Amino acid sequence: MGRYNLAPQRVHTYASQLIQNKRLPSPPPWYNTIGSVPPAERLVRPPLQRSQLPGAKPAGGRKKSRLFKPLQLHYKEDSLRWEYFNDHPWELARPRVVLENDGRDQERSNWGVPLDHSLNRPRSGEMSEEGVKLDDEWDSIRQQQAGRPINGEAVVQRQAYLMSRGLSNAAAYDAARKEFYRLRHSRETETRVAREEALATGAFFGPGPLDIGMKLEDQQYDAWKTWATKEIAALKQLQGSAYTGNENEEGGVEAIEADSLQDDLQEVSESIPASRGGLEARGGAAVHP
Amino acid sequence: MILRSLLLRHGRRALPKPPTPTPIRACRRYLASEVETTYTNPLQDQQFVESGIGGTKSQAIASLPTRDTASATTAADSDLVKQDWDFFQHQKKITNPIGTSLGPHYKPHELLAYPPWPKDITLELLMASQAHIGHATSLWNPANAKYIFGVRGERDPIHIISLDVTAAHLRRACKIVRGVTERGGLVLFVGSREGQARTVVKAAQMAQGCHLFSKWIPGSITNGQQILGKCSKKVVDEHDNVVEGFEGQLLQKAALKPDLVVCLNPLENYVLLHECGLNNIPTIGIIDTDANPTWVTYPIPANDDSLRSVQVIAGVLGRAGQEGQEVRAAKAKRGIVDYMQNHGLEPPSEEDEEAKQKLEKEQSLLAAADAFEVEDLDVEDEAAPDAAHAMVGEDGVAVIPGVDRSLVSEQDSDAHEYVFQSEERGAAVQEEGVQEQQAAPLFAGEGEGGQSAEGEGGAWREKGGQV
Repeated sequence: MGRYNLAPQRVHTYASQLIQNKRLPSPPPWYNTIGSVPPAERLVRPPLQRSQLPGAKPAGGRKKSRLFKPLQLHYKEDSLRWEYFNDHPWELARPRVVLENDGRDQERSNWGVPLDHSLNRPRSGEMSEEGVKLDDEWDSIRQQQAGRPINGEAVVQRQAYLMSRGLSNAAAYDAARKEFYRLRHSRETETRVAREEALATGAFFGPGPLDIGMKLEDQQYDAWKTWATKEIAALKQLQGSAYTGNENEEGGVEAIEADSLQDDLQEVSESIPASRGGLEARGGAAVHP
Repeated sequence: MILRSLLLRHGRRALPKPPTPTPIRACRRYLASEVETTYTNPLQDQQFVESGIGGTKSQAIASLPTRDTASATTAADSDLVKQDWDFFQHQKKITNPIGTSLGPHYKPHELLAYPPWPKDITLELLMASQAHIGHATSLWNPANAKYIFGVRGERDPIHIISLDVTAAHLRRACKIVRGVTERGGLVLFVGSREGQARTVVKAAQMAQGCHLFSKWIPGSITNGQQILGKCSKKVVDEHDNVVEGFEGQLLQKAALKPDLVVCLNPLENYVLLHECGLNNIPTIGIIDTDANPTWVTYPIPANDDSLRSVQVIAGVLGRAGQEGQEVRAAKAKRGIVDYMQNHGLEPPSEEDEEAKQKLEKEQSLLAAADAFEVEDLDVEDEAAPDAAHAMVGEDGVAVIPGVDRSLVSEQDSDAHEYVFQSEERGAAVQEEGVQEQQAAPLFAGEGEGGQSAEGEGGAWREKGGQV
């Protein structure tokens, strides 16, 4: 059948023929199994989507059929995600765990609980109007929801939950992100305080990535400097040795004279633009032999 | 400064009272090597839960339940270390349940140690192991359209594999593996991508089949006589016991062929699958969205790039093989053998036995003569098999414990030519333990050779029996 090799699908048929023609003394071990559980059909392309609504005619004549193309998957939260991550693009730069335990992880997080719930611990012994101990309630919720990851995706989920409770898009967004801001703020403060405490009690965190980068860069500059000095010395030596003889002697004298003149000028006017000495070269090496 | 003034004002009262009166000796040390001779527990001042507030360790220890008072008192007197150890264990027991406890969670090693069973296949399991993630839409093979659930993503879209299709195909593949092993078939598990080795070996162990985690040597099926012909084979009965007496016949037998091949990465193993098609061997393969589903008999549409997904699928298939083997063993125990094998072996006759004994004698004489005469060539002799071994191991062709390794690589080079010839005589002696034939009405052929790094070395093991 054209370019397809269908031998793998026809093993049972072929084995039946062999047995029928007594080419095989006994059926192979898979013969009965494959006979009872045949392979599924292949190379069949089911229509995956409608080309148009029934009864509707495309505006610009016949469109290219997308009948056999897979459907694009869209979810309600996609627009919320788009909005949130456009407003907070750096949230995407934070590492996030995408590993799932058993595929039902999402069901265990209750987005009815505010994102900053961990900060709202009531005072010990406080009672609600119904006579429920608030701190016990907080503890029990915390026990269930402490593992809920609080990140950008949590904001989206919380916003979707609030919208399902009747809040408008904007109101839900504001509520969710403000809870999130509060939690992030407190976490950052905690981290900073912990760092300061550690430093105050003698911790040493070592050079940071920037320091290490600067150090490496400095090493490269230094290495280049020694190399360039050597090169200049070698070039000068080569130049001096190339001009030997009468002409060169004269030239050498002239050069020396010129050099001394230069030195005098330098003393008088160092680094004056438009003078003979010219402006000092800063930041580069003048390698003009 | 503050401390000093405090001392001046209050004198000795300001100093904390030492817990035990220290001898004056402790204030001075005459020698640098002098050490404290009495051991003081640094945790002595700690308060302990058992003895209530303000309790000491001795009170806590006294409250411990003692098995034997007499021995306990003597132990307490004599053995401080034991006392501490007991107390540590007790404390651990008391404090262990305090604090948080870790709920059930994903442990990567458990997929290898305890793979899921076919009955554990759920869509959640498949999704958690990322079996649904396909390749970029531009890489797809349109023949996989049936297995695709949809396209996800705007900028860099990927195909999402439909997990209910995956589960259905996986269950079907399980039935095949189970059925084949139940009827004494030999299953070969192949996964040559990085990181798949342990999965493949584990699955093969469970299904009592063969494994291959390195390159498939092209022609190992179609040209098996040349490539794997020298690998060891053995005959086993329906209880998997080795049956002696088939050595001479097995010498002439070609390498065994698997009855079912499970390929975890079909894209890299096209040659293997093609050879299976030529030899009418059914195959099972993980088909990602960029693979061609017609290469295998039973495709399992799933993600073949995620190790977790591959481990789940290979583990489930291995477990299916285990179930089949268990059924087969249980049937054999009751004396039921409902399958046959096309091994083409004849029961060994008495003439064969005599000829064999004669051959053995000759071989031993020859071997002795070799050992005596060819001493000067021993250096070359020893070096060559090592080289052959290294090469063979690299290629993934098995190293067979019983057979001389230089035999496996006989086709390689003229450098080994002499070695090969001289070994040929010696090898016959060794083959006794390795090769077999069959005689009894009940037996199975089991050949070993080829493709494993486990030393067990069985690329092909054939099992079978006849009623």
